[in-house]
Amino acid sequence: MDSNILTLMLGISTFLGALGLGALLWGLKTGQFDDQKRFLDTVHFDNEDDLRDAALMDKRRKEREERRKKEYRPPD
Amino acid sequence: MREVVKSGHIVVQKVLKCQALRGLLYNFIKNRKRDRLKKIACDHCHLEFDESVMIEERAEEQTHYFCCRGCQGVYHLLKDEGLDNFYDKVGDTKLQPAAALGQDLQKFDTEGFVKKYVKVNREGLNEIHLIIEGIHCSACVWLNEKILHRTEGVIEATINFTNHKAKIVWDPQLLQLSEIIAKIQSIGYNAYPYDAKLQEERINKERRDYYARLLVAVFATMNIMWIAIAQYVGYFTGMRADYKNILNIAEFLLATPTLFYTGWVFYRGAWYGLKNRFVNMDLLVATGATLAYIYSIYAMVMQHGEVYFDSVTMIITFIFVGKYLEVLSKKKAVDTLDRMTSSLPTEVIVIEEGEKKLKSVEEVQEGDIIEVTPGDRIVIDGRIVMSDASFDLSSLTGESVPVHKGEGDEILSGAICLDAVVRYEALKSYENSMLSTIITLLEESMTKKPKIEKLANEVSGYFSVTILGIALMTFVGWYYFGGSFEHALIVAISVIVIACPCALGLATPVATLVGLGEGAKRGILFKEASFLETMAKSNILLLDKTGTITEGKPEVIGYEEIAAYDPSLLHALVSTSKHPVSQGVRRFLEERHASFSEMPLVSVKNIEARGISALYQGVKIVGGSAKLMEEMGIDVATDADKSLFAFVIDGELKAYFYLRDRPKEGAKEAIAQIRKMGLEVAMLTGDVDEVARKIAKEVGIEKVYSSLFPQEKAAIVDRYHEEGRIVIMAGDGINDALALSKSDIAIAMGSGADISVEVSDVVLMDDKITSLADAIRLSKATYRNIKQNLLLSLTYNALTIPLAVAGYVIPLVAALSMSLSSLLVVGNAVRIKGIFKKRRKDG
Repeated sequence: MDSNILTLMLGISTFLGALGLGALLWGLKTGQFDDQKRFLDTVHFDNEDDLRDAALMDKRRKEREERRKKEYRPPD
Repeated sequence: MREVVKSGHIVVQKVLKCQALRGLLYNFIKNRKRDRLKKIACDHCHLEFDESVMIEERAEEQTHYFCCRGCQGVYHLLKDEGLDNFYDKVGDTKLQPAAALGQDLQKFDTEGFVKKYVKVNREGLNEIHLIIEGIHCSACVWLNEKILHRTEGVIEATINFTNHKAKIVWDPQLLQLSEIIAKIQSIGYNAYPYDAKLQEERINKERRDYYARLLVAVFATMNIMWIAIAQYVGYFTGMRADYKNILNIAEFLLATPTLFYTGWVFYRGAWYGLKNRFVNMDLLVATGATLAYIYSIYAMVMQHGEVYFDSVTMIITFIFVGKYLEVLSKKKAVDTLDRMTSSLPTEVIVIEEGEKKLKSVEEVQEGDIIEVTPGDRIVIDGRIVMSDASFDLSSLTGESVPVHKGEGDEILSGAICLDAVVRYEALKSYENSMLSTIITLLEESMTKKPKIEKLANEVSGYFSVTILGIALMTFVGWYYFGGSFEHALIVAISVIVIACPCALGLATPVATLVGLGEGAKRGILFKEASFLETMAKSNILLLDKTGTITEGKPEVIGYEEIAAYDPSLLHALVSTSKHPVSQGVRRFLEERHASFSEMPLVSVKNIEARGISALYQGVKIVGGSAKLMEEMGIDVATDADKSLFAFVIDGELKAYFYLRDRPKEGAKEAIAQIRKMGLEVAMLTGDVDEVARKIAKEVGIEKVYSSLFPQEKAAIVDRYHEEGRIVIMAGDGINDALALSKSDIAIAMGSGADISVEVSDVVLMDDKITSLADAIRLSKATYRNIKQNLLLSLTYNALTIPLAVAGYVIPLVAALSMSLSSLLVVGNAVRIKGIFKKRRKDG
C-alpha cells in the first residue's frame, strides 16, 4: 500500500469528522441546543405560518432600523 | 334574602380574587368531578364539570360549553384572532381555567419597576425576561409566542419550552410593558418578570463554553484512539517509517486543539494557582501534558522514538469530563432562585393623606401606612393599624395553619394575607425587613461554600510539587551523570506521566462519579461531588419536623359519631376551608364515602384559627376546634397533643374527629439507622414544644428545639459549628432555608419550597426519610472508597516512581501502566454499587 493512500484516507476521514464537529459547535454557539424541548416539539407545529411570522418579525426589525436611521438624533 | 344573596356574592368575588383559593377551588372541583355522572368538558380548558354549572352558548349549529367566564373570553379571543387551531395542537391536554386577572397593571410601567427589570439594548429597544405561568404543553408556548408576534411593536418574543422563561424585545414608542402583560393575561396565562442578569446568563455561557470544549476533546480522543491502536501494533510487530510518520502527524493534528483549546482550562487554573502562590492539580496536569506534547513533537520531527500524543489527549479529556459535570449541576440551581424572587412584589400600596399611591418597596419609609389585599405577600415588617385578617406564615414557621392577627399585632414580611384588606404601619425599611434579610443571607451563602475542597487541593498541591521536584532532579541527575539530554528528558517525562493522572486525579472523581450515579438512581441528588465527602465526615443531623419527619398533613386518627347526620353536609362545610385540619377531615370523608350530593351553603365564615360556620337552608352549621366548642358552650373531651374537630348542627353536637400529623413511614427505623452510623440526631421546629416532643418521642429523637424562628434555627447551626461539629440539616419550606444555607450539608425534601431546593446540597426526590439514611450510607461508602483508591494509587506510585527515576521505564510503558492503574481504581470504585445490594440481602 502506498503511503499516499494512507494519508488520503486519514486526511479525508478526519476532515469530514471535523466538518461535523464544526457544524455542532456552530449550532451550540448560536444557541440552537439551549432548549431541548423546542428542538423536538416545534416539529409538530411546523408550517408556513411560522415562517410568515418569522418574516414579519424580521420586517419589523428592519423597518425600525430604517426609521431610526432617518430620525437619528445624537444620544443625549 | 337579598342580604344573603349579596353576602354570598361577596364571598364568591373574594374567592375568585384570591389566587390561592382559586387553585384550591380548582382542585376541589377536580376531586369532586369523579363522583358525578353527567359531565361535560369545557371547550377551552378541557376540564370536565357537571352540566348544570357550565356556561352554555349556542352559536350557529354548535353548542359550546365553558366552565367560567375566563375560559369563554379566551375562546372567543382566539377565534376572533384566527388562532383557534390552538385547540387542534393542544389535543386533550387539560389546561388551567383562564383567570380573569386584570389586577393593577400600571405597576409594570412605573419607573422603579422599569429600572429594575427592563434593559435597553443597543438598538434602543426595550428587553425583558419573563417567567410565564400556566404553560402546560408546547401548544401553550406556541399560542403565547403567536399572540406576542401579532402585537404591534413586539420585535422579538421567544419562550423557552423547558423552563417557560420568555425573552421579549419591544419598541417602547409603540408599546408599553403593561400592554404586553395584559396580552398574555388575556389568553389565560400570567407573567412575572425576573432579573436575568443575576446569574443565569453567566452560568449559561460558562456551560456552553465547557460543552464546546468537551465536544472537541471527545472528538479528538475518539479519533486518536484508532490511530494509537495502529501505533501500538506497529510498535510490537514493526512498521515502515513513512507509515509511522503519517500516523504521528495525524495524532499531532488531533492532539493540538485538545491541549490548547480544551486544556486551556487547566493552564488558566495553573496560572491562577501560581499567581496566588499555590500549586494545584491543574499545574501537574498542565505540566505533564505539555511536556509529553513537546517531547512528542521532538520525536516526530527527529523521526526517532515514540510519540505520546494519545496520552496527552486522553489525560486532558478524562479530567475535563469531571470539571464539566460540576458546571452542569450549577445551572439547575439558578432556575429555582429566579422563580422565588420573581414572585415577590416590587411595589406596595401606600396611603398618603387619604390617597392610595403605588410606591416601590425601596422607597417605603418607617411609619408609612401600607395597604394589603387578600393574596398579597407582606414584604415590609410592620404593625397592623386597621382591620384584622388571617395570615399564612408558612414561609416563616413552616406550619401551614393560618394565624389570625388584629390591630396592634406585629406582622413579619414573608407572611401572606389571606382573607381581608388590612392597613399596617411600616416599622422597618425594606432592606431591614425579615424577608429581604433572609434573601440577602441566602445569596451570600451561595457564593461561599466548601472548605473541604480546599484541603483536597492542598494535598494534591504538595503531591504535584513533589512529583515535579522528583522529575526535575531525575532530569538533572541523568543529564549530569548520563550526559545525554534526550535520554534524561525521556526519563523525566516517564516520571511525570506515570504519576500524573491516576494518583489523585482519578482516584477521587471516579469514586464520586459512581457514588453520584448510584444516588441519582435512587432519587438522591448531590449537587457537587465534594458534598459526598463532607456528608461522610459529618457527625450531627438536624431535622425539621413538619414535612421532614411528619407528613405535614394531619390525618384523622379517631372518630366518634354522637348523632346521625348527612356526611355530604360536613363535606361541603370542610371543603370551604383550606385549613389543614379541615382538609384532613375532608380526605377522611372522601375515603369513607363514594359520593356527596350538592349542598349549597351560604354565609360561609372562617372563625379565625378555630373553625368554620355556614348556613344551610337557614340552619346554622359549625365545625371547629375544642376552643370554639367551649365558646359555644358545648362540652367536648380534649387531649392536648391531638387536634380536635367537632361538627355541630343547630347547636347540637353531631360528631367529632381526632387528628394528628403522623410521622412519615419508616421515620423511626431510618433515624435508628442514622444513629447507628454514628450521627447525633436533633429536631428543630417552629411548632410548640408539646407537639414537638410527642413526635420526637415517637421517632426516637432525644434532643428537641421548639418554637424557633428562621434565624434561631440558623443560630443553632452556628452553635454546633463553634463546637467544631459538621452539621447536616434536612428540611423543607422557606423557614428552613437560612439554617440550610448555614449548614455544611443542606438537604431539601423534593416537594419542599423551591427556595430550599435552591440552597440545598443534596435533594431527595422521593421525599422519604429513608432516602436520607441511604444518602448518608452512600456518602460514607463513597468516602471509604476514595480513601482506598488514594491508598491504592499512592502505593502504586511509591513502587513505580523509583523504577521510572532509575530509568527502567520508557514513557510508552509508563503510559500503559498508568492506564492499568486507572483500571484498578475504576474497578474498586464500581464496588460502591454493592452497598445497596448487600443491605437488601440483610433486610
